[in-house]
Amino acid sequence: MERLLVLPTSRAGWGLLIAFVLLVLAGTWPVIGWVNRATLVMGLPLLVVWSYLVIFACVVVMLIGNRIVERDDHE
Amino acid sequence: MNSPWPLLITLTYVAIAMVIGLRARAGRSMNSLEEWGVAGRSMGPVTLYLLIAAGSVSAYTFMGAPGWAYSKGVAVFYVAIYLSYLALVAWYFGPKVWQFGEQFGHVTQASAIADRYQSPALGALAAIVMAIGSIAYAVLQTIGSAYILFVMSGGLIPIWLGVVLVLSCIAVYLYASGQRAIGRTNAFQGVLMLIVAWAVGLWAVHSATGGLSFAGVFERIQAEHSEFLTLPGAGGDMSFSFWTTSIIVSMFSFMPPVWTQWMSASSARTIRRSATWLPTYYVVILPMVVVGFIGIFSLPELSRADTVVLEYAMQHLPVVLVGLLGAGTLAASMSSSEPFIHSVSLSLSKDVLQPVLKLSDGVTGKLARLLILPIMFFVVAPLAIAEPGSLVMILLVGLGFASQVLPAFIGMFFWPRASRLGVMAGIVVGFLITVAFTTLWPHPMGIHAGFWGLMLNLPVFVAVSLMTPATHAEVVERFFRIAAPRGFTQRGCRATV
Repeated sequence: MERLLVLPTSRAGWGLLIAFVLLVLAGTWPVIGWVNRATLVMGLPLLVVWSYLVIFACVVVMLIGNRIVERDDHE
Repeated sequence: MNSPWPLLITLTYVAIAMVIGLRARAGRSMNSLEEWGVAGRSMGPVTLYLLIAAGSVSAYTFMGAPGWAYSKGVAVFYVAIYLSYLALVAWYFGPKVWQFGEQFGHVTQASAIADRYQSPALGALAAIVMAIGSIAYAVLQTIGSAYILFVMSGGLIPIWLGVVLVLSCIAVYLYASGQRAIGRTNAFQGVLMLIVAWAVGLWAVHSATGGLSFAGVFERIQAEHSEFLTLPGAGGDMSFSFWTTSIIVSMFSFMPPVWTQWMSASSARTIRRSATWLPTYYVVILPMVVVGFIGIFSLPELSRADTVVLEYAMQHLPVVLVGLLGAGTLAASMSSSEPFIHSVSLSLSKDVLQPVLKLSDGVTGKLARLLILPIMFFVVAPLAIAEPGSLVMILLVGLGFASQVLPAFIGMFFWPRASRLGVMAGIVVGFLITVAFTTLWPHPMGIHAGFWGLMLNLPVFVAVSLMTPATHAEVVERFFRIAAPRGFTQRGCRATV
């Protein structure tokens, strides 16, 4: 037991972990550098639009996560 | 500003908040830690959503964030991103924390730490140092509240009186109804803030551009001040590294009130449902920040950036909206300060005074309620009235420490081998580095001081844990049945605890 780490135990769990990591990467460097331009999209700065895309992507990933957790019937 | 309406509207909000807070008790006895501390673990998904959302949206959203937009530009949106990542943190950890609380009887974060590592001393240490950051945060919010009353009254309510008034209101309903008052008032404050932010934002855009689209504001900024639309911002101080490390450090700062909020939920599923939709609340930040951008060309000579929304409102908006802005800003600061005051009182009673004085649970429950009074009137009030220059520094160090407690949580959720001495060593090293890199050599190489602290903290934590005895196997097993209900995976193989 001494060397064990808690990691996902199913493919869906790994998929969720990867999605969480991708979300964090999307809001930080280097990805944030790629959208760091003084252009407007739908009247808003690109960085603002990207920030809200990341924010709403968090909701989508958690909604998918809820389905997985409730389907597998564990907390 | 000569109209009495702004002050009347602001005071009406205070009266409504008091009535809601007092009625939240609904005839229950509040002398137990379960009831006063975590609302009998009864909160539903909507109340919990608004409780966490309003608690995380402080006066910063109405004053500091527009001020950042005014002085730096889009760099301010790192806040919206890290708040959404905190929702991911709540989604994953919240249900497990709730189960710890429900099965092992924890009502505070420090109780869980003390239990996991079988060390009341480590729990007390965590409680005391977390209290420093929490009190500094509550003081800053109280200063914001008093400032709003000062402005809305046209200077008739001096800062000291504003501090006493706001703290007295919070003290009455917090003593009477505890976490239930925080839940109900935050729900009211959360809705109020959302309405006020969008009403003020859209009205300000209309007065500045003649339309309701934000595009007019940003097209002008793009043409005249395009440096506000990219990092490192107009001040040149928000580099990619500072943006990234600020987000990561903030994401891993498990502040005690958040832990208490999770334990107040009616079920683990409730937390997951609330956390899922939590990021949607952060649309509240956008209209306030847009007013900050309007200030760049409308109020170019402003001496204090964080007053940009109030100044613009008083010059261009109708008095009713100015009053609503006062109420909304006061709601933001009160909804953020009361959970911190509550959690400090709860944790000092449960995790410091109870073990030291060997008090019963009943006496500790009564003590927690009473302790809010000296905390508010002998600590928070004098500090808020004195407005010490080092307060922001205390807050930064306090929040820096919060992230240094990360090893305690790694050992609770991911790594059974973590030891009490490993956690202590990691925290001490991380804290010293964070203090040094906040005060002596601020944020070297543009990297957040708390991130430097973590980079030393984590290797020390792992090394010392491997060299010192682990916690008793039955305690570890008890925690990891919840943290890892399906066992562990190691190098592609499954095993169970």
